[in-house]
Amino acid sequence: MESKQTGITRKDFIKMSVAAGAGIALGASGLGAILGATGNTLSASKTTASAESGDDVIPLYGEHQPGIITPQQTYLYLASFRVSTDSKSDLVSMLKDWTKFCDLSVSGGTMMTGDNPLVPPTDTGESLDLPASKLTVTFGFGPSFFRDGGKDRFGIARLAPQHLKDIPRMARDNLDPSISGGDIVLQVCANDQQVAFHAVRNLIRLSVGTASLNWMQEGFASGTPGKTPRNLFGFKDGTANSLHDSADGYDRIVWAGDGEPDWMKGGSYLAYRKIQMKIETWDRTSLSDQEATFGRFKVSGAAFGAKGEFDAVDASKLPADSHVALAKQTKQQIHRRAYSYTDKVDPRTGNVDAGLLFISYQRNPDEQFIPMLRLMQSKDALNEYVSHVASGMFACPGGLREGRYIGQNILEA
Amino acid sequence: MLKSSLSVLSLAGLLALTACGSNSNDPANAGSASPSASSSQGASASASASTASASASGPSSAIQEGAASMLDAVKQLQDAIGKQDAANVKTLGKSINDTWLSFENAVRQSFPLEYTDVEKYEMPIFSASAYDKIDFDELKANADGLTDALTKLQNAKPTTESSSELLNQAVVKYQDYIADQTSKLVTQTQAFVDAVKAGNADQAKTEYAKARVYYENIEPVAESFGDLDPKIDARLADVDDPNTWTGFHRIEKALWQDNSLEGQDQYADRLMTDVKDLQAQMKTVKLEPKAMVAGAMELLNEAATSKITGEEELYSHLDLVDLAANVDGSKTVYLAIIPALNENNTDLADKLDQAFMKMEQSLSSYVKNGQYVAYNELTTDQIRQISDQLSELSNLMSQTAAIL
Repeated sequence: MESKQTGITRKDFIKMSVAAGAGIALGASGLGAILGATGNTLSASKTTASAESGDDVIPLYGEHQPGIITPQQTYLYLASFRVSTDSKSDLVSMLKDWTKFCDLSVSGGTMMTGDNPLVPPTDTGESLDLPASKLTVTFGFGPSFFRDGGKDRFGIARLAPQHLKDIPRMARDNLDPSISGGDIVLQVCANDQQVAFHAVRNLIRLSVGTASLNWMQEGFASGTPGKTPRNLFGFKDGTANSLHDSADGYDRIVWAGDGEPDWMKGGSYLAYRKIQMKIETWDRTSLSDQEATFGRFKVSGAAFGAKGEFDAVDASKLPADSHVALAKQTKQQIHRRAYSYTDKVDPRTGNVDAGLLFISYQRNPDEQFIPMLRLMQSKDALNEYVSHVASGMFACPGGLREGRYIGQNILEA
Repeated sequence: MLKSSLSVLSLAGLLALTACGSNSNDPANAGSASPSASSSQGASASASASTASASASGPSSAIQEGAASMLDAVKQLQDAIGKQDAANVKTLGKSINDTWLSFENAVRQSFPLEYTDVEKYEMPIFSASAYDKIDFDELKANADGLTDALTKLQNAKPTTESSSELLNQAVVKYQDYIADQTSKLVTQTQAFVDAVKAGNADQAKTEYAKARVYYENIEPVAESFGDLDPKIDARLADVDDPNTWTGFHRIEKALWQDNSLEGQDQYADRLMTDVKDLQAQMKTVKLEPKAMVAGAMELLNEAATSKITGEEELYSHLDLVDLAANVDGSKTVYLAIIPALNENNTDLADKLDQAFMKMEQSLSSYVKNGQYVAYNELTTDQIRQISDQLSELSNLMSQTAAIL
């Protein structure tokens, strides 16, 4: 294991990866010279204009992880893993591989090396010639990462953050454990679905033998830049994010700090609910009933009694059980980052399984999120049209410094 | 993970165990599974001599001591086998394994050929220690084989061959294995076919499971003979016209689903002809290292696709039997290429060793009364665990072609 001071460098990683049989080459990210040192032929580099222009790249490093307050990209993959090894060094080695892969991919790089034709290609290849597409990978750790069934597998139980626990049972829960929770979650987002899938696929590949994929969920969110995206009910989702859209606001709402372990400072809690929407029933509901259910006008997004989407909400003008009224009643704010999903047809009814992958980030879910959820699941007029089918709470560490790997502050604390 | 923490029950051992019945019934099998008994006495005698005369160029003192200590224990084991003392046999099997684990890494790196031999006889002995039923004849054959292998190890000389020579030796070794497995397949298929034609369904079911092992061990090589594999091993879903369907699975359906052997004679005869044809063709095949290594990968891919999903043995649900045989066939290639791997990538050999151990340990936990549990008795979580281990193993195995 490397010491805290040195961390990993790109060069080290290449050596390490070649030894492990997963050679890594850098594409257009500018460190091609290193490849000369490894004796590999650089066989592929990104040549598309957007990859080089840089405005398509969301940096991996910084004070906070990307993908949290990053404006929403169009596509999402949410993947949950169970750590299957008991070996801390194997876990560290996977997290290093993941970090290195993210370093390469977010800048439009590839793991492809001068491949030996007798062994499988190092990179799966479907993102070659595609731009970086604002790819972000956000890492979160679930309660079982720190303590699995009462067992402190990696000697890190003492480092569990103060608000990390599974979301407690709520009224009307209809949760499927096989698509809920997990030791590690990866939120992979990009403006190109193939780029996003390439990332999640190769992250899964790099996890083989160390972690096991629990579940994966894909989602989409389409919106004109600068406008709030709409969910599958046709309503704007995330209007209230504008209330804290400032450095101060994010400190207040999103970034964890006080009383948290060091690694969690600048991090955030990811709350996840997969919410099935009964869209067929909804589509047979009158416009006025739909609007009364939310407490907002469908087209403009303005709350009842207001003119514009972002105008202040006067709760007294809203139906008491409407979605927005209940959200405001808690006097809490969260940072919403939801995606929609569509899946199979229920053969019994012909109804489409579709809905919302509710994702919110907050610095203290006990205060900001759980009470809001409890109130909504017990009273929300929307309950008639939705069913919560999956759940998860994950602690996303603070931002990553170049040369360090994700989770290092936990595993080497 | 520490090797010693894995109380491994080897797959080879399980296979030996499942094959026990056939071996005792069938002299030809017993003969090919073990070295001749007469060699073992001489081997024991020379063992003590060579311990004293270990030279500097030979095995290190740690290896010498380990081998001597194992030989000692094997002698006691042979006594215990002679007395049919099951309790003692189990204790010794376990302690022999503990000793082997303490120095096997050094052996694998310095004397890969000898390593493979020791491993071949040691693992079944250890496995036997974990089961309620002990086949003393089988165990005796393995104990004798282990004595020979350990004696060879004590006298081993470091290899000086080049990688390509090592690889060619690996192919020769693997060809021997293929020939041996094919011959067992013929014998065992005959037992199966006889039971089918005698209308003895229970017997046929038992013989079926045993025959499948030999086929699944060598499947990729069998597949290289065009239409023979489909004739022998096609599933109903594989064939264009169900009326032309023949082979093992045709009779599997009759036995487990239709519960009637009526009209199966023709398929039984046909299967026997095809399997004999396979053996004849196998004798003409000259394997290349590339094909051998690719075959090992194919075996794992087979296991990870049709076996792990329960599609292969749709009626008998013996998928774990096939899966274990696929893994075992793949491991045979791994063992054969260790010398070449050592030249190129010892790290990969270490990892593969661990992965095979984990896989075998996992599979062994599904043996009840000397047989693998039926696929349809496994929970989704159990299947997933096996699948994850297969993925890990396959990932590593897919890198071995780099030695070519």
